[in-house]
Amino acid sequence: MTVTNAQAAAETSRKFPQVDRFIITLSMSGMALLACLIWLETAPFLVGLFFVGAMLGVALYHGAFGFTAGWRNWVVTGNGTGLRAQLFLLGLACLLIVPAVSGGIEGTAGTIAPVGVSLVVGSFIFGFGMQLGGGCGSGTLFTVGAGNLRMTLTLIFFIIGSVVGTVHLPLWLDAPGTDPIQLASTVGPWGAIALQWVVLAGLWWLVGRREKRMTGQTRHGLLERDRTVSVARTLLTGRWPFLWAAVVLAVGNLLTVILSGTPWGVTFAFALWGAKIAQFIGIDMTQVEFWTWDYGALALQDSLLVNVPSVMNFGLLLGAMLAAGLANKYNAGSKNPLVLRSVLAAVIGGSLMGYGARLGFGCNIGAMFSGIASASVHGWIWFASAFVGSLLGIKARPFFGLSH
Amino acid sequence: MERMYRDRMYKRWRVLAIMSAILFAVMADHLRSPTFAFNMGQGGQTTLMQRDLGACAPCGAPCPSERR
Repeated sequence: MTVTNAQAAAETSRKFPQVDRFIITLSMSGMALLACLIWLETAPFLVGLFFVGAMLGVALYHGAFGFTAGWRNWVVTGNGTGLRAQLFLLGLACLLIVPAVSGGIEGTAGTIAPVGVSLVVGSFIFGFGMQLGGGCGSGTLFTVGAGNLRMTLTLIFFIIGSVVGTVHLPLWLDAPGTDPIQLASTVGPWGAIALQWVVLAGLWWLVGRREKRMTGQTRHGLLERDRTVSVARTLLTGRWPFLWAAVVLAVGNLLTVILSGTPWGVTFAFALWGAKIAQFIGIDMTQVEFWTWDYGALALQDSLLVNVPSVMNFGLLLGAMLAAGLANKYNAGSKNPLVLRSVLAAVIGGSLMGYGARLGFGCNIGAMFSGIASASVHGWIWFASAFVGSLLGIKARPFFGLSH
Repeated sequence: MERMYRDRMYKRWRVLAIMSAILFAVMADHLRSPTFAFNMGQGGQTTLMQRDLGACAPCGAPCPSERR
């Protein structure tokens, strides 16, 4: 190829990004089919939630917005960009959601949960598991949507761990604990936002201080992107700056509140899918106390298409698939062959995350993101406890042949 | 085009098979649900709002004070 031809080819590729048409067609057909089914069989607000889920899937994939790697990068290398993006996300979400669930929008309620042994132990286990599994609740889901084989294994064991967690949760709830503590009911919605922003600002400073000590500089990098490609192309094929993804995730959570009445959650659906499979193979889950509580009982007996977390997860999977097709990277995460120790880490990590998510009342999304966005103290305790578990998980990664 | 096909990191039929299996499972679950029965006029009722906004946790767990 002559230089002129190479230049012409490079120019063409700049103009027309190579996309995976098969994956794009399949994901969009899947979305259209499922959206029609939900529209015909359920209600329009669930179609809306399905597309919100798809939008979140695109943002998570194009933004590579993983809580797990963000924590690990800061701990191991001192790079705090990912963690800082998470703090920005929490600050923006609490500004949007606290007023909404504190009487701003009628018929809505924040994400709350009891504060006690179950929460601390569950989130600690989850934090440990997510470093071995390779992703948190949303991270597992969007990478599965993008065709990652190892993360599919993590998801399968996440589901199994969740089912075991539903069996054990009532026992854990008998351990010491108090009723949910909502800051907004003590200091008012704006007081709660101000208080949380002070804590977030303190964490922001701490992240930067450690980053400077370890790397000699503080790289903000929230708007960092490849400047050689246009904004429109970056929007379509990625990779998005963290800030774009954070804004979409915060707005997506607010839309979830508006449409469903409560903030975004991911992992209840995993427990539900597992319980339905258990029922199918002859295990009577209706005898388990967890599935006798109103929400669990209704969800278990009715269709997945009327269960909000399930519908949103379906959307998220297809959204991530679409984004991977647009980036022409579907299944790119599976290019390295699976080795036994890595598989073992996925099995242990997935199981621990599933179990921990039930005891800790959710994952990084349902408990931490939505909890803090609702000014519930349990979200902060989840964050702290999962972070400590994550520190141990990071130390354990080399035993499973996983890099830092 | 041929090179693109060689470089692809998955097999199309596998992706199609997995997606079809998931769709089949979701449909099978839906067809035996009260919502489907309700839509077909066979009685029962749909549960479009499942979440209990008064519960103490997103999963519907009761408050520790209630359990005591």
